[in-house]
Amino acid sequence: MSFVSVEFLIFFPVVAAVYFWIPQRFRNYWLLGASYFFLMQANAAYAVFLAAVTVITWAGGALVARADRGGEAAAPNWKKLPAVLSLTAIFAILAVFKYLNFFEGLSAGLLSIFGVSIHPSPSDLLLPAGISFYTFQAATYVIDVYRRDVKPEKNLFQYALFVSFFPQLLSGPIEESRSMLPQFREVHRYDYDRVRSGLLRMLWGYFEKMVVADRLGTLVDAVYDSPGKYSGLPVLLATIFFAFQIYCDFGGYSNIAIGAAEVMGFRLTENFQRPYFSKSIPEFWRRWHVSLGRWFRDYLYIPLGGNRCSRARHYLNILIVFAVCGLWHGASMTFVVWGALHGLYQVIGLTLKPVKKRAENLLGIREDAGPVKIWRAAVTFLLVDFAWIFFRAGTFSGAAVLIRNMFHFRSLAEVANGPLIPGMNVLEFCAALAGIVLVLAADFLGRGCDLRKKLLGRGTACRWAVYLSAAVIILIFGNYGPLREAGQFIYSQF
Amino acid sequence: MYRKIAGKIIVLFAVLVCLFAALSPVFIYKTPHRAKLVQGLYDSGDEYDVLLIGSSHMNGGLDPNVLWKQYGITSFNYATGGQTLDVSYYLLREALKKHHPDVVAVDTFYSAMTSPYGESGLVSNALDNMKWSANKVQATFHCVPPQEWIFYFLPALKYHFRWSTLDPKDYSYFDMSSYYYMKGYMSGTNRWGKSDASYVSTQKQAEIPQKSLQYLEKIIDLSREEGFSLIFLNFPADYSEYDAKNGWVDDCEALFNSVASYAEKKGVPFLDYCDKMDGIGLDFPNDMNNATHLNQWGACKLSSDFGSYLKEHYHLADHRSDPAYAQWDRDYLLSQAHDVLD
Repeated sequence: MSFVSVEFLIFFPVVAAVYFWIPQRFRNYWLLGASYFFLMQANAAYAVFLAAVTVITWAGGALVARADRGGEAAAPNWKKLPAVLSLTAIFAILAVFKYLNFFEGLSAGLLSIFGVSIHPSPSDLLLPAGISFYTFQAATYVIDVYRRDVKPEKNLFQYALFVSFFPQLLSGPIEESRSMLPQFREVHRYDYDRVRSGLLRMLWGYFEKMVVADRLGTLVDAVYDSPGKYSGLPVLLATIFFAFQIYCDFGGYSNIAIGAAEVMGFRLTENFQRPYFSKSIPEFWRRWHVSLGRWFRDYLYIPLGGNRCSRARHYLNILIVFAVCGLWHGASMTFVVWGALHGLYQVIGLTLKPVKKRAENLLGIREDAGPVKIWRAAVTFLLVDFAWIFFRAGTFSGAAVLIRNMFHFRSLAEVANGPLIPGMNVLEFCAALAGIVLVLAADFLGRGCDLRKKLLGRGTACRWAVYLSAAVIILIFGNYGPLREAGQFIYSQF
Repeated sequence: MYRKIAGKIIVLFAVLVCLFAALSPVFIYKTPHRAKLVQGLYDSGDEYDVLLIGSSHMNGGLDPNVLWKQYGITSFNYATGGQTLDVSYYLLREALKKHHPDVVAVDTFYSAMTSPYGESGLVSNALDNMKWSANKVQATFHCVPPQEWIFYFLPALKYHFRWSTLDPKDYSYFDMSSYYYMKGYMSGTNRWGKSDASYVSTQKQAEIPQKSLQYLEKIIDLSREEGFSLIFLNFPADYSEYDAKNGWVDDCEALFNSVASYAEKKGVPFLDYCDKMDGIGLDFPNDMNNATHLNQWGACKLSSDFGSYLKEHYHLADHRSDPAYAQWDRDYLLSQAHDVLD
């Protein structure tokens, strides 16, 4: 079930209302049933994968804890075995259903270098919705139990709810077991202010997705789906638009998810913290898809040695983490290159850091000066946006054509003969720009304060004017309805 | 506390419903279909002897101006593209609120449809242009899948994306009276140039799809309740493109044999012009606009024959000498029939 559907607009209020209405002891069962129903609306078979990952990791956690009963002193401690086995099992499911064709193709390519020719036939396996997200979330539980960061969850149903909780099931945020599992033991009472605040957040999420992201997607799709067809301004605009499309798409999804959870009293991780105001690539990754970045930091980067090792190994760790992060997004080398580019940016940044420092000292440039901050934010945005080309293009040849055509501006005669902005008229284009400005303005104004709190503190007339305007704007300018193909959330395919 | 937020959400929804109900006429496409339905259902003060209901076959196949010119019969063509039998039923009920015809002719082409619902865009042609009433609510419930009901109650939600292409005629509701002289009829002026590739004389029968049967029954019941005479029609068409893959019965000839048997059983005349093409002098390549629709020349031949049938079988007054109907003569001069007949 998509968040942008009439079904969800009926499903969510019913689930939330019943959640508060029924006795506490039944609530988690209700949410568990609702979460599986939510997933199975797309395909009932998805539930099998979710249940398998749930049972494997729950049993893995229980066995790890059992083996670890004696603590560090006990020997021999074989807790690693169930941890490794359960993690291997769930990552194997992920690998088979998401990456089998990719690895077969990669193997064939590598073998052909040595003169061995194989022709793997692509398998047509079902890609279960949300599998990348809930596999990673379930893995945190096994690792946390292994590290003794959390106690094993005895109640399988409670644990199943942790893995399947519907607001974050399909596209995160990826929660850590130590922060999420205790929330299912809390008593969440109906709180008018919290419900209102959660609904307002959901409204903003719908605006980001339906009004801004899907509108920007019109130009992006027109250009990126036919890479050789356009050059110059349309390609440049589409590339800039994609940066905001994916931000508003995923940010919008996250706001709906976090808002829906908030209505019911759950606190999910803030997944985006004004990423396009970042002044460096490392800062960007602390603000973009925060829950995934945290996962890679805690469960891959640090175990690899992090930065507490030789410089060469540190750089290699960064490259590995970002290449894997790219691969997590999709079974394609373009995603790997997208991730590796981010790794490379950081390695180059670290390498040039002393030179940059010396130059700044020589020229007397202060890091906290306004123009310097703006310059650094602009450079960071350009680097991030360049990498997005590989993320969106789908193929290297497509990306190469787009990069080449981006700076090939058409003559005035050519411009006069074709549409300046493919896929949208002038009014649509202005609305797209206005959407970007509004989202950036909200990010900028929300730096040191909670805009929702400010709004909810205003008088009735002001609040209602905002509610009504937002609803009317979404309903008129949003992308939905039987005559429009509602845009799928970009991250739902990962 | 629950009541507080529930109350506020209900108020917000109520305000939005009122707002979008008011905005809907602006966003609905201003097509000739809209013009003729608003005229025929609500604006026109004319009394009609005959109402014509059905799909695009009827829309471009039976010309009220021919019936007027040759027989002095007043009629209005309420057909819209893709009008399914369920939509025809509710549209007829809507028309009967204002008009009291002696005869209603219903195009049965869509009785061959096996899908439970017609194509959304085509059903919209009719339902979007019906005013809010219990009849419209029922029509929506029965003719539209549940997940789309809201878009028929508040069409602005369906056409909201038109905000950037709205033009002045959308705000002024455009001059629908300028279409009235056609009396709901409009046909093409193309000559198809090909023969009917599908026609085979057969005695075979095919099962009439359940929903079609249900609405044929309802239309017959309505005729008895309202006291008008009913005629079922089928228009000349090449059925080659219609089959089960497209939500249609595979053998249309057999299906219309079944419709004929059903109509006979119910005592309703059924004029299958697919079988009468030679009888009315219809030349398929020259009198069809395309494979399934008559052109203006073919429509004139068929309308002329239908008018003769009406005169022969029903007591319909000839209004041509009545000064109260002088406007019908003026409208005729603007019509496609005038181009063909005179």
